[in-house]
Amino acid sequence: MSIARRPILLDRPLQRRHRPDYILLLLSLILLSVGLIVVYAISPGLSAQKGVAANYYASKQIIAVALGLVAFILTAQLPLKSLKVVQKPLIILAVLASISVQLFGQEVNGASRWLQVGGISFQAVELIKFALLICMASFLNQRHKEGLLGNQEKTIKPMLIAVGICSFVVAFVQSDLGSAGVIVAMVGSMAFVAGLPMKKVLMFAGIIAVGTFLAIASSPYRRERLAIFMNPGQDCQNVGYQSCQALSAIGSGGLFGKGIGGSVQAYGYLPESANDSIFAIFAEMSGFLGATVLIGLFIALFSRLKLIIEKAPDTRTRLLVTGILAWLSTQALINIGAMIGLLPLKGITLPFVSYGGTSIIFVAAAIGLAFNASRYTTYGVNSMALTEGKRYDDPADRRGHGRSHYAAISRRP
Amino acid sequence: MQPPDKLLFTPVQRVRVWYFLLLSICAVFIVRLFYLQVIKHDYYRSAALTSQLKQYEIPAERGIIEVQNGKETVPIVLNEMRYTLFADPKIIKDPTRAAQLIHDAIGGDVDDYEEKMKLDTRYSVLAKKLTKQQNENISKLEIPGVLTADAPQRTYPQGTLAAQLLGFVDDEGRGKYGLEQALNDQLKGRNGQLKAITDARGVPLAANNENVLKEPEHGEKIILTIDLGMQQQLEDILKDGVEHAQSQSGGAIIMDVRTGEIKAMANYPTYSPAEFFKVDGKDIGVFENKVVSAPLEVGSIMKPLTTAAALDQGAVNRNSSFFDKGYFKIDGATITNVEESGGSGQRTLNDILQQSLNTGATWLLMQMGGGEINEQARTAWHDYMVNHYRLGRSTGIEQGYEGAGTIPDPNEGYGLNIQFANSAFGQGMTATPLQMVAAIGSVVNGGTYYRPHLVEKIITADGREIIKKPEVLRSEVVSSEVGKQLKEIMEYTFGKNYRAYGGMPKLRDEFSVGGKTGTAEIPNPEGGYYTDRYNGMFMGFVGGNEVEYAIVVRVDAPKIAGYAGTKAAGPIFVSIVNTLIDNFGVTPKK
Repeated sequence: MSIARRPILLDRPLQRRHRPDYILLLLSLILLSVGLIVVYAISPGLSAQKGVAANYYASKQIIAVALGLVAFILTAQLPLKSLKVVQKPLIILAVLASISVQLFGQEVNGASRWLQVGGISFQAVELIKFALLICMASFLNQRHKEGLLGNQEKTIKPMLIAVGICSFVVAFVQSDLGSAGVIVAMVGSMAFVAGLPMKKVLMFAGIIAVGTFLAIASSPYRRERLAIFMNPGQDCQNVGYQSCQALSAIGSGGLFGKGIGGSVQAYGYLPESANDSIFAIFAEMSGFLGATVLIGLFIALFSRLKLIIEKAPDTRTRLLVTGILAWLSTQALINIGAMIGLLPLKGITLPFVSYGGTSIIFVAAAIGLAFNASRYTTYGVNSMALTEGKRYDDPADRRGHGRSHYAAISRRP
Repeated sequence: MQPPDKLLFTPVQRVRVWYFLLLSICAVFIVRLFYLQVIKHDYYRSAALTSQLKQYEIPAERGIIEVQNGKETVPIVLNEMRYTLFADPKIIKDPTRAAQLIHDAIGGDVDDYEEKMKLDTRYSVLAKKLTKQQNENISKLEIPGVLTADAPQRTYPQGTLAAQLLGFVDDEGRGKYGLEQALNDQLKGRNGQLKAITDARGVPLAANNENVLKEPEHGEKIILTIDLGMQQQLEDILKDGVEHAQSQSGGAIIMDVRTGEIKAMANYPTYSPAEFFKVDGKDIGVFENKVVSAPLEVGSIMKPLTTAAALDQGAVNRNSSFFDKGYFKIDGATITNVEESGGSGQRTLNDILQQSLNTGATWLLMQMGGGEINEQARTAWHDYMVNHYRLGRSTGIEQGYEGAGTIPDPNEGYGLNIQFANSAFGQGMTATPLQMVAAIGSVVNGGTYYRPHLVEKIITADGREIIKKPEVLRSEVVSSEVGKQLKEIMEYTFGKNYRAYGGMPKLRDEFSVGGKTGTAEIPNPEGGYYTDRYNGMFMGFVGGNEVEYAIVVRVDAPKIAGYAGTKAAGPIFVSIVNTLIDNFGVTPKK
């Protein structure tokens, strides 16, 4: 510990590769399994409605999970520094995907979000989120290093433009306000954690509030949805139908649920049973206890991500994982909130659990990045501790570390 | 690097603030879940069941109907699956396109389809009675909101045969007319019920403790006494006979006098029960089995029954005779003879029937009152008609809309004596051909009135056979001696008159054939009787040592020259007798 008391030069990376956070991986796998089980259980019902083979949905989900694992392995092994290299190609891909969706995309419920690529439907918005995550982490890190985070010209403007374009494309062109919300929350959280001055934070909070209001007021479709949200029981046959059916599914689950395979609402009553509405089906099957456990699993996963943020070796990594946490948590909250009637329906997936290849692949890729970052966490006196003025080991910091010794600052030539 | 002291919160603090917010929202969610799933569980459970739990009728299969064909039975009414095409206009987005697609698949009127798909309803029938192939073509289109439903339909392997006696089944599955109406409850069975949790399209899901199943009880199979061959022959003969007599319509019945079994029962014109809906609204009379449902003034075919009554009562005997002046004056009215004008002379019972003497029938009625028509005569005759021959009341045959006819009350009304004198030869009273065939049958078979019936056997859905035994409604309708005497008189009558009917070059005296014509006046709805039209009737029997079949023929207002009974109904009777002897094995006399 004598090393820790020495003055530290912070211009060099304080990193040492160590065992990654397997708990994070385990939690991710459990959540994926929950999704697989639910999709498997309701696959026959969904298939019957669509007239495809009984295990159609289950097998497609298995393929998605397998592809997700591949994505996970790739991003978990990728040297984090090399992310800079993939930034530009990612942006180009995201732009191309958005344009293609607009040109050749499938229109579902008045929103074109999907692109058919050889039997697999691809959701452009997932790629946009992933690209934005990587770019913003890098950009904010750069500005942070330069001490220009609060700078109007150098930081705020470019950030607003990027978020503005992305959310405009997603919310207005692809009619996906939910994902726009996730994008705003993700970038906002990253900027907030990066250290955006509080004045600006409050200002943006105000802008987001006004923006949301305008977005809702500008579209009859959204106004309708908001009206349903205010009173979901009123018009179950038409606009409030999905909300009503979701509440029926959840409420009829009771304390212990109807058991796996006991879902009735999945048989054509609740729209998007396997995708957006999967939480309601899960709650119907597993009851209050199961639904609480599922939320608990998400909280556990988020807490692991939070730990990585706290112990991140550098700002870039910290921002990256913050973005991942904000992305996954906002998306989960918007999804579940809509199902339990606390938020308007948004039509976004529940990470890990929902049926759908694109979502699973990009969520797995994001978790891979966090898993990757967890190899470089530093305990004891690290960069973040130093910014907080600590100069010594805090035993409290060891919580969750899982080892008797810190992989603390090491300076090897 | 921004100096740490310039930050209001450090990054770790910011992360923790952020994370706290996240946990708070999760906590709210869990509270909300508890509210939905535990507190409001019952509400949402019943809300879900309201749409999930559906109640279905499981339709029972309607019983089939078979007829006799030699030693075996063959189906005459079967079921076949057809389909009803309907739409939910609320779901259909493009009625014009949907109508075109449906037209391409099954034909029909495009505009009509389109119109029906624009109605403000959730259920609009587009087409009925689609075949299996048409149903498949529609299903392939997969137009949302356009569906088909099973609709089992009756089919008739024998076409129009026995149409009125069978009746038909309407679009709501109800038996109409004939057997289908009379035995509707037995034929239709009892629908089962399924209460089940279903998917959104209404397909029941696997076992669930909310499900309740009650199996349907299928309808009973009915085996008729009708003989396929006789029915076919009778219908052909009737059609030819009615056309030959230049009449519009007619009817005929063949009954086995030994059991009361109806062997054949025909009406002309007829219709196709498979296409009952094509019958024009003004022609719905064609649905009626008129030989059962329509009582009429039967005319002189009443005389044999009056004769048998007088004999049985002992008012006259086989050798009685009377001097016929050619008329009787009764209460100021005159009874005269119409058909034959033999002039005045001594007349026997044989003469009364053979010459069809109205005065003879009047004389017989007088003898029943001790020499004049009085209360005693009226009461005695009425007693025979109503209690012995069972006229004026339904026989209870398995047919819809059976008519009862009327026999005037012996003590109520005005001009009773003249009315009863008329009734004694078949005017001023009504009866159905069925009642007449059953009545004459009960006399010539030796005095046993069997209920006329069409059902020989019922086979229940679980395979039990219920055999309908001949039901004796009255024994000693007349004494067997009187039965024999009347048979003789009718044989004599036929033997004397058969040449006038044509169709039988030489009397077939190895068989017992007896018969009596009737040329009945037709009441004018405006009062009195038509003077230019008569119904031709014939009532007779055929057998060997004992009578086997009784036959009644009716031809409505034929235009052929001569007496309607002789020229219109008589030839039909002869043809029936010929075919019964030649094709259906009537036992010759020994």
